[in-house]
Amino acid sequence: MSTPNPSAAPNPSEYAGDEVSAIVLDPGYSTTRAGFAGEDVPKSVVPSFYGVLDSGSGPRYVYGENAIHNPLAGLEIKNPWSSDGIVEDWEAASKVWEYAITSRLTGAKPTDPRKNGLNDPSGEDMDVDMEGLEDNEKPLSDSPLLMTEPGWNSAKAREKYIEIAMEEWGTPAFYLAKTGVLAAFAAGKASGLVIDIGASMTSVTPVLDGMVLKKGVQKSSLAGNFVSNQLRLIFEQSQPKIPLTPHYMVTSKTAVDAGAPAQAVYRQFATPPGDSFRRLEEERVLTEFKESVVEIWNGPPGQHRFSQNEDSARSLPGRPFEMPDGWNQVFGVERFKAAEGLFDAAAAFTDEQHPRPKEEQTIPKLIQAAISSVDADQRTMLQNHIVVTGGSSLLYKITDRLGAEINALFPSTRNKLHAPGQVVERKYAAWIGGSILASLGSFHQLWISKKEYEEHGVNIVEKRCK
Amino acid sequence: MPPFKDEQIIIIAPGSETTLAQLGLPESFTPARLHVRSCMFPAEKEGEWEPYKIRRRMEEAAKPPANASTEEKQEIADMKKSLGEPEEDQIIYEEDQISEEGAVWPIQKGKIVNWSCFFALITHVYNTMNPPFHTPILLIAQPAWTPKEHEKLTQFFFEKFKTPAFAIMDSALATTWAYGVHTATVVDVGKEKVDVTAVSEFVPHTIGRVVALPDCGGEAMTLRLLEKLKSKGFNRDMCEQLKKSTICEILPVGIPLPGGEPNGKTDTITNPAAAASTGATASGPAAAATLGNVPRGPGVDTEVGDEPGDLEEEGVLDVANIVASGKMTEYLARKEKEKQEKAAAKKKGADTTTTTAKPVRLPNAKREKATFMYEDHALLDTLKNMNLGTEGMAAAHAALDEGPSNKNGADGADGEQRSGADANGATDLANPKAGRIRREIEVGVERFQAASGGILENIADAVHRTISAVDEVNKRSELWEGLIICGNGSRIRGFKDALITLLKTKYLITPSSASIFKSELPSAMPTPTGTGANTPTPQLSQLGPHGGPPISSGVNPLLYAATTAQNPQLMGTPGTTVNPMYAGGQPQAQNAHSSHGQTPTSIGFVKLPEYFPEWKDVGFDESAFLGAQVAAKVLFIVDGGVSKGYMTRPDYNDQGPTGIHDYSL
Repeated sequence: MSTPNPSAAPNPSEYAGDEVSAIVLDPGYSTTRAGFAGEDVPKSVVPSFYGVLDSGSGPRYVYGENAIHNPLAGLEIKNPWSSDGIVEDWEAASKVWEYAITSRLTGAKPTDPRKNGLNDPSGEDMDVDMEGLEDNEKPLSDSPLLMTEPGWNSAKAREKYIEIAMEEWGTPAFYLAKTGVLAAFAAGKASGLVIDIGASMTSVTPVLDGMVLKKGVQKSSLAGNFVSNQLRLIFEQSQPKIPLTPHYMVTSKTAVDAGAPAQAVYRQFATPPGDSFRRLEEERVLTEFKESVVEIWNGPPGQHRFSQNEDSARSLPGRPFEMPDGWNQVFGVERFKAAEGLFDAAAAFTDEQHPRPKEEQTIPKLIQAAISSVDADQRTMLQNHIVVTGGSSLLYKITDRLGAEINALFPSTRNKLHAPGQVVERKYAAWIGGSILASLGSFHQLWISKKEYEEHGVNIVEKRCK
Repeated sequence: MPPFKDEQIIIIAPGSETTLAQLGLPESFTPARLHVRSCMFPAEKEGEWEPYKIRRRMEEAAKPPANASTEEKQEIADMKKSLGEPEEDQIIYEEDQISEEGAVWPIQKGKIVNWSCFFALITHVYNTMNPPFHTPILLIAQPAWTPKEHEKLTQFFFEKFKTPAFAIMDSALATTWAYGVHTATVVDVGKEKVDVTAVSEFVPHTIGRVVALPDCGGEAMTLRLLEKLKSKGFNRDMCEQLKKSTICEILPVGIPLPGGEPNGKTDTITNPAAAASTGATASGPAAAATLGNVPRGPGVDTEVGDEPGDLEEEGVLDVANIVASGKMTEYLARKEKEKQEKAAAKKKGADTTTTTAKPVRLPNAKREKATFMYEDHALLDTLKNMNLGTEGMAAAHAALDEGPSNKNGADGADGEQRSGADANGATDLANPKAGRIRREIEVGVERFQAASGGILENIADAVHRTISAVDEVNKRSELWEGLIICGNGSRIRGFKDALITLLKTKYLITPSSASIFKSELPSAMPTPTGTGANTPTPQLSQLGPHGGPPISSGVNPLLYAATTAQNPQLMGTPGTTVNPMYAGGQPQAQNAHSSHGQTPTSIGFVKLPEYFPEWKDVGFDESAFLGAQVAAKVLFIVDGGVSKGYMTRPDYNDQGPTGIHDYSL
């Protein structure tokens, strides 16, 4: 590893400090966050989704925001994560992650995705590319890498992480940390209960002195995507059905009265993009809906559940929403119902494909289970340090509701909720924690070096990254 | 006493197509003094680069440089930027300042793909300015450049030029400086890419920024034209020049193309290639006749339509090929014949001209056809490669050129066309050898379709994505109202208007008929929340997801609420009720999430900057450079390094290239 400035030798205790610019990679279901350690926000946030184009000579993969939102003929959108929060497709995952690092952090290297013909329709100008590039340098050959993993990651998956980092990317040093721990660090706590409401998973992780209590980790799929599905069900089940048309299908729209059928000019495609593409684009509309309409119900104390005071909700004014095709309506009680399923399984919308979630999957039950798995003398301390993080925790008023639910669960203790006010701190808490950790001088002894990896093989990660 | 003086400052703004640079800040900020095309030519020795194409004069004819064939596709001519440097006199080698044959373009899609070439380019630019010592440098960075690349550049600038101070500024940020606004959405339409950046409170949002959206820039539009016109014998170069001419225009959505009936269209354009390239084609007399006949420009449907279908012609647009294959004499003879016929025809056509040209001079958008001047670089290159010698060259040039200077050149169209060419194009070369060979080409309604096929839609979608990705929800409406479209790709007539019209038709949220009655009260008031005394939630958690208004907006909370609410007009009375909630010093931050309705409720451009007369004439497409001058003034002179806006040489010695990240605006 070369130090960039030979005239001032870096302090040995700062091995992993700013000087060597470790990279922190925090992959998630919806986005993959990457950036340099020591910075306050990840510089690179790219979608974890990727596109597959069938181009005669086998599938062509495209990565990145620009590519996956381009309505190309036959484009299908995939995600390397399985729905239960573990990487499923390693090939694709490593490409997506590599894209996150190379596209915005380190710049093009020979292993850059563009070499695979990605995001680059014409192969011609490639020969120019190749001239200036030196030897077979790997994308991360000069940066240590800190990666995050969910608390429930399998041993096999962890070994795969280090294998990709060492073999494919050639990183000189590696460490794997759990998102729960890092989110707690970002909140300035070494111990606490981390409630992470993400896109595909909601998890509750007890963290004690910087270590995850593995048996206490609770997870469920009642998270952002669940709310989106609830919205879809609301739209489908309402009378008449509410059409969900994504932006790319509309050429121009005309203003119509509330509830009136849309009058829009639709775009014609010779070969339309695949259904999964449409789903991704619909998700954008739903995100907008979640941002501007959905609200978590907060009833009066003692009866915070929506089912307990539905009538009072009816008297509240609704919020209007306009679909990309111009259809618009005011949403009244529906906007409270959409996310109620997160807390109350009985309130969830269902159909054949979407059965009612189990009661123990709801967030209050997860919290309860996590707390009860901890020794009794530690519980008070955890309840006093509850950290809320994850992109879906930005749902309007969700922290209020969480507070109410937690108080109902543990009425006798002092429960303290920590939910950062800055959006970035909420969305990227685990990354920020990783950035702090990797820039600490005392962290350097934790790195797994390439040499150690070569000596001990992949299972070193089990021993070193607890 | 500021550490630097105005006249010492260097600004360099590299681009995929053109690199802008300037030494010294003028009293009133001007467009960049130096425009260099961003390409270099491989020198004899591997890894070394020359700014101009070097030809060996003594060698046998038509020996293309080693890599010409492979690069032919991408090297094709674009804006011609002649530097007016004296040509060096060499015995064997000759510099060709115009040719782009075999050129390597180190920046593609905003990314630096060939570093040694890029550094050579920067060195060339630097040397061209011939700066004294003690010149601080401000580099305008493309959004696609990564932090690691910034470090690489820092190292290069300090170690190669020994610059006393160096700063890197993001081009989107520079654009907002030019416009003098702190919050705007910058849409930079470049050569092969489009960058969309949301800048709020002088900080570009890196998350969610659309960087280098491919297939959307000026190049894509050229290719789109080519796709439309290929069947008619157009080549890429012609399309490029067509794009730059004033007759190429983008019509806003909903405006039909002129001359609706497809029948007449197909008839008349049976071989527009032949008709278009006029005398240069080997077309039959009929086509040549048209030349004289047609009232250039003004008339609708007066031209080609009345001629018999030119079925016998070969439709040769590629004169270069003919010349290269050695049939030039033959060709010239034929052309001579045509010329005579044309002269004859001209007499005949004279009266038609007067009758049709006079009455209506329709705007371009209404005309089905129009003509533009085409400068045939490929032909010129071929001629040069043939080593004709000075006289031969001049003769061939005279024979082939149809430009306005030429006797049999087209009457009319010239004025319009010239003005359309870019400013530098006008500085014609005195050198006859290097002179251009012009031909006139006519096109139909294809010229309105440069941005069709999803280009505008993709850009519009990128704008929507960028703004939707901004976490500060309350900023979004301001961002929608502050659009800046810049970059030379957006120069095409009508592009900006077409884009904003599209944005409006697609994304604008009309005030809902429902919300007008049911109203949009700030939800803080009506919701009887459980946030009361019983909620143990600490103060911190009350700071909702959107954290409340950022520090800078220590504005009147009422104003803040009003600007973010869906229906500002309804805010009057409820606003007062809400006031106490906000007045508590802690703005009900969670409101921010909900009190923003959907955006946008209005879309608009940022007002063009005033007080820059020099820029008004050229347009603000390169406004990033204007912003860079403003920034350079502030950074190096007004601020003088107090707030660490630039990196000095001692800083660099201390911290190395990675230190650059600590020095920024």
